[in-house]
Amino acid sequence: MTAVPPPAPGRELANPPSDGISNLRFSNHSDHLLVSSWDKSVRLYDASANALRGEFMHGGPVLDCCFHDDSSGFSASADNTVRRLVFSSNKEDILGRHDAPVRCVEYSYAAGQLITGSWDKTLKCWDPRGASGQDRTLVGTYPQPERVYSLSLVGNRLVVATAGRHVNVYDLRNMSQPEQRRESSLKYQTRCVRCYPNGTGYALSSVEGRVAMEFFDLSEASQAKKYAFKCHRKSEAGRDIVYPVNAIAFHPVYGTFATGGCDGYVNVWDGNNKKRLYQYSKYPTSIAALSFSRDGRLLAVASSYTFEEGEKPHEPDAIYVRSVNEIEVKPKPKVYPNPPA
Amino acid sequence: MSNAQTDPLLQVETTCGSLLYELQIIWDEVGEADTDRDKMLLELEQECLEVYRRKVDLANRSRAQLRQAIADSEAELAAICSAMGERPVHIRQSDQNAGSLKEELRRILPQVEEMRKRKSDRRNQFLEVQGQIQEISNEIYGSSEYMTSKMVVDDSDLSLRKLEELHRKLHELQKEKSDRLRQIQEHLCTVNSLCSVLGVDFKQIVTEVHPSLGDSGEPKDISNDTIEQLAAAIRKLREVKLQRMQRLQDIATTMLELWNLMDTPIEEQQMFQNVTCNIAASEHEITEPNTLSVDFINYVEAEVSRLEELKSSKMKELVLKKRSELEESCRKTHMVPEVDSTMEDAIEAIESGAVDPAYILEQIELQIAKLKEEAFSRKEILEKVEKWLAACDEESWLEEYNRDDNRYNAGRGAHLTLKRAEKARALVNKLPAMVDALTSKTMAWEKERGVPFTYDGIRLLSMLEEYNLLREEKEQERRRQRDQKKLQGQLIAEQEALYGSKPSPSKTQSVKKAPRMSTGGASSRRLSVGGAMVQTPKPIRKSDRVHHNNQLNPQDDCFSVLSAGRRGLDIAGLPVKKHSFGNATVREAESPMMRVPFSPISSTASSKNKTNLSDDLNMTHSETLQKTLATTNNMKFTTPSKTISLANEENKTPNAQAILHVPSTPSTVSVPMQTVMTPAPPPVSFGTKVVEDIPEEIEYSFEERRAGFVLPKSHIKSLIQV
Repeated sequence: MTAVPPPAPGRELANPPSDGISNLRFSNHSDHLLVSSWDKSVRLYDASANALRGEFMHGGPVLDCCFHDDSSGFSASADNTVRRLVFSSNKEDILGRHDAPVRCVEYSYAAGQLITGSWDKTLKCWDPRGASGQDRTLVGTYPQPERVYSLSLVGNRLVVATAGRHVNVYDLRNMSQPEQRRESSLKYQTRCVRCYPNGTGYALSSVEGRVAMEFFDLSEASQAKKYAFKCHRKSEAGRDIVYPVNAIAFHPVYGTFATGGCDGYVNVWDGNNKKRLYQYSKYPTSIAALSFSRDGRLLAVASSYTFEEGEKPHEPDAIYVRSVNEIEVKPKPKVYPNPPA
Repeated sequence: MSNAQTDPLLQVETTCGSLLYELQIIWDEVGEADTDRDKMLLELEQECLEVYRRKVDLANRSRAQLRQAIADSEAELAAICSAMGERPVHIRQSDQNAGSLKEELRRILPQVEEMRKRKSDRRNQFLEVQGQIQEISNEIYGSSEYMTSKMVVDDSDLSLRKLEELHRKLHELQKEKSDRLRQIQEHLCTVNSLCSVLGVDFKQIVTEVHPSLGDSGEPKDISNDTIEQLAAAIRKLREVKLQRMQRLQDIATTMLELWNLMDTPIEEQQMFQNVTCNIAASEHEITEPNTLSVDFINYVEAEVSRLEELKSSKMKELVLKKRSELEESCRKTHMVPEVDSTMEDAIEAIESGAVDPAYILEQIELQIAKLKEEAFSRKEILEKVEKWLAACDEESWLEEYNRDDNRYNAGRGAHLTLKRAEKARALVNKLPAMVDALTSKTMAWEKERGVPFTYDGIRLLSMLEEYNLLREEKEQERRRQRDQKKLQGQLIAEQEALYGSKPSPSKTQSVKKAPRMSTGGASSRRLSVGGAMVQTPKPIRKSDRVHHNNQLNPQDDCFSVLSAGRRGLDIAGLPVKKHSFGNATVREAESPMMRVPFSPISSTASSKNKTNLSDDLNMTHSETLQKTLATTNNMKFTTPSKTISLANEENKTPNAQAILHVPSTPSTVSVPMQTVMTPAPPPVSFGTKVVEDIPEEIEYSFEERRAGFVLPKSHIKSLIQV
């Protein structure tokens, strides 16, 4: 299969959400895809069969969702609730509440905890197993300097990106205070933060067409490796049009990553060699979210207007699942001699 | 009796005599003259004669009547006899004087009676036969065709011959009737078998022709009309059968072809054995029930369409496989495959049925063949290229190795690396010759073919050229280095002369720098050392110029340095030393050593532009986030790099900045830093601003705007206090 060129946009899933897609994620165990949307629903798809397997309605728009295992997941809703969704029985229960809309949710397999970030400027950790009342499920509440915009986990590390360009790095084993407090090295609002699969750092994207590559290790040698690069821009008649970078997704095998912007493009980058590996053909509208499947053979792309220009007519929201060729994501050996890094 | 008769006559005679006597007496007494007496007597005589004459006439008339009656009877008898075709029984016997007329009449009357009886019997026979004939012909020709008037028997001919004739006719009719019945039965049999083959309801068809045919209890209608209709129905059914047979045979043929094409397993074929065995059968050979029913044909058709689908999907698979083969060989020969999208088009076309997959397959085959041919011609050069690239790898490894100060330290595998270095050096020496040979070969190839030789989409000649340029540069660098060393040596010698001591030979910056330039690849690890040094992500043809650029403005790495073939990341930021320390700690660390010299620059610059800027930024965020930047601006913009020296600036801002202001929080430091590091561009105002000036502005993400989320007032206040 590796030799076949990529199909134009990938396969479009039937029964897409009826409003903006806030996030989508592949399961770690199968090709199931969980999708949250502004239409107040969370949908479960079987991406390989192109079938809708379940739908959960919420009290408000759903801003994020994630898998627990293949039989259950979690959602973060603008009605301030954090919910647990059981796919087999199509049931859901409320794990707890924030004081404001819940922006993002992550499940840590290392800690067995659910972490949610909200615009109420707190982070909350939950134990989903004791689902018998908020007093028992809530593990802790951790105040943040600003509204939480994005979360990412790797191992025991948790990276929290908030408004005001704050970035807090936590160790899940000691949540009492951040391990590191940083400021985004990008000058504009943070859109997305994602940890490297190898656990050495994180990538952070901003509304101004730029992605910063950061490292956890504070030693001078490590910090020297950090850099930022421009992307999702267009030069037209001397004017530089810059688009927000909404989504970053790392390839689980090669450690390369895809970014999606409001320009409707998905780019694949090799962070180590500082190369762009591939640019997929343009999608109808902004890329709201990206996710690689567990083996990295599929890439789910949410093409959905992200409200960057306010209310306006836009292309319909769609989910494309494309099969990924090795050539698109595998770091390329250079044509020119380069010392082995 | 006669006595009795004679007596009155005698009495009458006596009475006459007495009466005459009496008259004589009277007359005597009266004294009538004799003449009167004679007159009277004549009168009496005349009257008596009259009476006699009358009686004789009467008798004469009755005799004539009697004769008439006899003659009538005889005539009747004769008529009846003749009608019945018999010889008259009665031969006129009057000559033989058979007695009186009355006797004769008496004798003839019973004969007439008998003949009449016989005649009526015969008539009844006729009626009976004719009735039967009527009935049968009614059945055959329809009710009204034989007129009922015929039922009247012709009395004039009641002969046995005629009866015989009628009987014959009846028999004939009966035979015809049975013939017809047999025919109908045959037809019905045919219809039945056709119906069963076609899977049609027999009863329905038959009842349509005539209701009596469907009902086994009723006598069947045998009229011409029925038979004709039945025959027509048979014809029609047979036509349908032929049509269906044709169709089924067509389908079966297609099916066989598909089986052959796809090597369908026997088990699957077995299921349709009954179809395919009829493929060459003629119409009358197909007798098995339901073999031509609509359901069955549909069933077979469904199978065929399934097979066809299978075939098209297999075709598609084949096309894909061929395509991937093509891609694979392209990859192997480092050629850029032709248009990728054609594949999609092709598949779409196949799906829509617009194009025959076989045609596409053929095309792909053709392409593969062409490719193979081309690959063959490229083979020699490609081998050389591989060798060259391997040599280049070794060269760069050698450079790296040479830079390693500890390379002679004995460690694990040190002898191996030493050996490798030795080999590499030998190889590097051969490199120029290799490049030359390759260049000439490639040029020859290009000349011969008239197309540029590409390697992974990049022209090989340009690659070689670039390599040569790079090499030259390296050479120059090396020469300069050597000069410097010489100079240093002189200096040292002078110093030695002055102080009598020889400082240890220190490595100069340039020593470190030089080899890095040559490699071209920018690894961030190495970036950290130089600080001011950014390599191009990939060497390009215009490398001198880029080089130049780099020296002038090391942070800038915009698209201009990207080669045509591939694009590197546009690396904007330079390593920021210690940037990532927590704000608090850095602030503490830095606060005593506030750097005065730079702050005024930044603050003035920023205050000047802040009004402009806030407008700008508002616009960008509420709208498309576009911005137009002059190239110089761009440079500035793309490099938010910071050094420790400026860290205090940078860190001073966030504590106020962090929460309160517009999304864009460009650090004020970046501008002065650039001015410090790079002499060329004057501070540019874009992106700089003093945060404290717009505390009311709260940044919101797209999601917050969409959700209508607004930070509560109290929050803001508390935050401001913080």
